[in-house]
Amino acid sequence: MADSAGKEQGGEWFGRLVTGDHRAFAEFVDKYKESVFLCCRTLGLRNDEAEDVAGETFLAAYKALSRYKGQAELSTWLWRIAYHKGISFIRKKGRRIELLTEFSERFVDEKNGRPGAGIEAEEQAEVVWTAVKCLPRLWAVAVVLFYRQGKSVKEIAGIMRKRENTIKTYLFRARKELKKILVGILGEDIDVV
Amino acid sequence: MLSDKLNGDKFDESLRRALRGHTEPVPTDFTAGLLRQIKQAQERRILARVVWEERLVLGGCVVLGVIIISAAVVFPGTAAGFTGQVKTLTDKIGQAVEVVSSWRQLYMVFAAMFGFAVYSLVDLLASDS
Repeated sequence: MADSAGKEQGGEWFGRLVTGDHRAFAEFVDKYKESVFLCCRTLGLRNDEAEDVAGETFLAAYKALSRYKGQAELSTWLWRIAYHKGISFIRKKGRRIELLTEFSERFVDEKNGRPGAGIEAEEQAEVVWTAVKCLPRLWAVAVVLFYRQGKSVKEIAGIMRKRENTIKTYLFRARKELKKILVGILGEDIDVV
Repeated sequence: MLSDKLNGDKFDESLRRALRGHTEPVPTDFTAGLLRQIKQAQERRILARVVWEERLVLGGCVVLGVIIISAAVVFPGTAAGFTGQVKTLTDKIGQAVEVVSSWRQLYMVFAAMFGFAVYSLVDLLASDS
């Protein structure tokens, strides 16, 4: 998805997009909405909140597209907007969420409630996703960007406005924690561990 | 490097595969709703601009009227002279009309003026819509 967008940058579709063409923008939304929702939900937003923040993200992108110079890939640029919209939404709501240290309560539920072996690959993917959502928010975002979106550490640092070493630390700790969680949920003999 | 190490083993590959296998649910009418929102915002912006322009025009007319009345009160002599000049001008226009009215061309002039008025009206309404 991100690669194809990268190729389209500078193309006819992209030209229409930056000049405010509605049809091109609809295609843009269709192409990236899953990523934006993923970002919102990784930050721990509920469905209705995720929808609001995703809407705000695309509106902000619509306004800023004419100024987009193409230094970063379109998906990276959009992730940056979505991430910061999500963070400011959480802060505006006054929620006391420790983005770096708080583990989700689901961690405990999933750990105690999941069956061990015999899980299908599809279900295993969902288990891994659930485990990621149990991580502290910033770690989870870094993991999703690195493993799912295929972003480099440098790009992630740009999106989250952190130093590259900080991102490496997030990934290192998240990976360690994920291993622990997944062993707890799925047992020692699973493919993913 | 840490990132290289992170990339290096089976766990990373499995994690990558599992996370890429996950699909994030999105509300079905999200795109349509968003486009509707953008259209409404644009309409509101255009409407606000039109209202602002109308207010400017109205304000200009009011200010012009106030200036004329103030000038007539503050400089009555000049105002009287100006009124006289305007009267002379209207008299001259009247004389010109009388001369021209004997010509058939007058009807053509009126027709042209009427045409221009209709055109202005249509243009005004079309630009509003």
